[in-house]
Amino acid sequence: MPVNNEKETSAILEIRKLSKSFGETAVLKDISLSVEPGNVVSIIGPSGSGKSTLLRCASFLETADGGDILYDGRYAVNDGVYAPKADLNRFRTLFGMVFQSFNLFPHYSVMKNICEPPALRGRNRDEVRERALELLKKMGLEGKENAYPYQLSGGQQQRVAIARALALDPEILFFDEPTSALDPELTGEVLKVIRQLADDHMTMVVVTHEMPFARAVSNRVIFMDRGFIVEEGHPEEVFGDPKQERTKQFLKNYNQ
Amino acid sequence: MSLMTMILKMSEGLGKTCAIFFLTLLFSLPLGMIVALLRMSKNRVVSWITRFFITILRGTPLMLQLLAVTYGPYYLFGAGVSRNKLIPVVIAFSINYAAYFAEIYRGGIESIPVGQYEAAEVLGYTRFQTFMRIILPQVVKRIMPSVTNEVVTLVKDTSMAFTVSYQEMFTIGKQIANSQTSFMPFIVAGVFYYLFNLIVDRLMGRIEKRLNYYK
Repeated sequence: MPVNNEKETSAILEIRKLSKSFGETAVLKDISLSVEPGNVVSIIGPSGSGKSTLLRCASFLETADGGDILYDGRYAVNDGVYAPKADLNRFRTLFGMVFQSFNLFPHYSVMKNICEPPALRGRNRDEVRERALELLKKMGLEGKENAYPYQLSGGQQQRVAIARALALDPEILFFDEPTSALDPELTGEVLKVIRQLADDHMTMVVVTHEMPFARAVSNRVIFMDRGFIVEEGHPEEVFGDPKQERTKQFLKNYNQ
Repeated sequence: MSLMTMILKMSEGLGKTCAIFFLTLLFSLPLGMIVALLRMSKNRVVSWITRFFITILRGTPLMLQLLAVTYGPYYLFGAGVSRNKLIPVVIAFSINYAAYFAEIYRGGIESIPVGQYEAAEVLGYTRFQTFMRIILPQVVKRIMPSVTNEVVTLVKDTSMAFTVSYQEMFTIGKQIANSQTSFMPFIVAGVFYYLFNLIVDRLMGRIEKRLNYYK
């Protein structure tokens, strides 16, 4: 993955004081974080802590109530006000999203799942095909071009979904609990390709319950609870020597 | 009157039966989609008005609707009853079937997981592209059994055109039955509808099979 070195000083994604409520329930309170190019940020925390909502706000699937979202130093959301639709569409080209439930298009072959989005964006079809084959190889899915999603295992489907996101060459990739819908034995193969992307310096934000993975792969770990960022830092700090009582309590359940 | 003459005479109306059938499908299938989309509109007023019309079309007899469309203009405005009854018959059938198709479409559209829309949005599909490329093809597959049901019913419902004396197969049969005091024409009509639906069933089955390339 190409890393743009000129932008090393500025974050690809910056979120400031983001807030979000569902009705009366505040799910995100005063969330700030920034993601530097080439970094992997893991977000951990109990269910309902707002981790997924944070990713969904960053990818415009949920509408934040207040705060800022900046991509490449430009405002997509400024003090709770969203940029015009055309601008948001341009921001959408900067990120990719991998969902818990894969969300592949069941009526499309693997190849069409991967190739149609870039083709619709006007990219050259031959180049798109070539890139798709390259990505499938990288995902360990050679020979699966013409398969339909239902013919694949969950782990394979998720790897297709990752290839589909990568085919658009995003600057940053979001993972929303990418292995939570998978059998334990299939989890490993998906984590392996994410780890491989980290080695290639792909910028990523990963919401996960896989603690050993988060510890090994991330540059930074964020622990969230009840809509707040409770603690964040280098994985060795957060996992090895957590400062907050709530973090210790949470990590104890994972036998860290 | 011999059975053969009966069959021949009734066959003359078969073209009109087919006209009702095909024209109704031609208009009601797309019209149903428009009605379904209006029904699901975020604008409450639009949604409620559409809902109201659907309840009327589904809650009153098709026969009554046929009479209303055919003779309503005469009673309301003193307009002449059109000589070609095919027009009011097809209008009544199309509107009625559109209401049923609309509810089938709505059920199909609402059964598609939200994740499909979300994935499409993040991947840069426009709302129109999402509907046409991602949602609609999956909806068509899911609703095929229900649509087949409606189409089979439509074949038989064409007989209702006799209420406005449109000379389709069943109307002719009924006239023969009256003049000959014979039940035979009704049996002939039954066989006609049965064979018609046998073909419909085969065709729809073939379409369903073609859509079975994915799950």
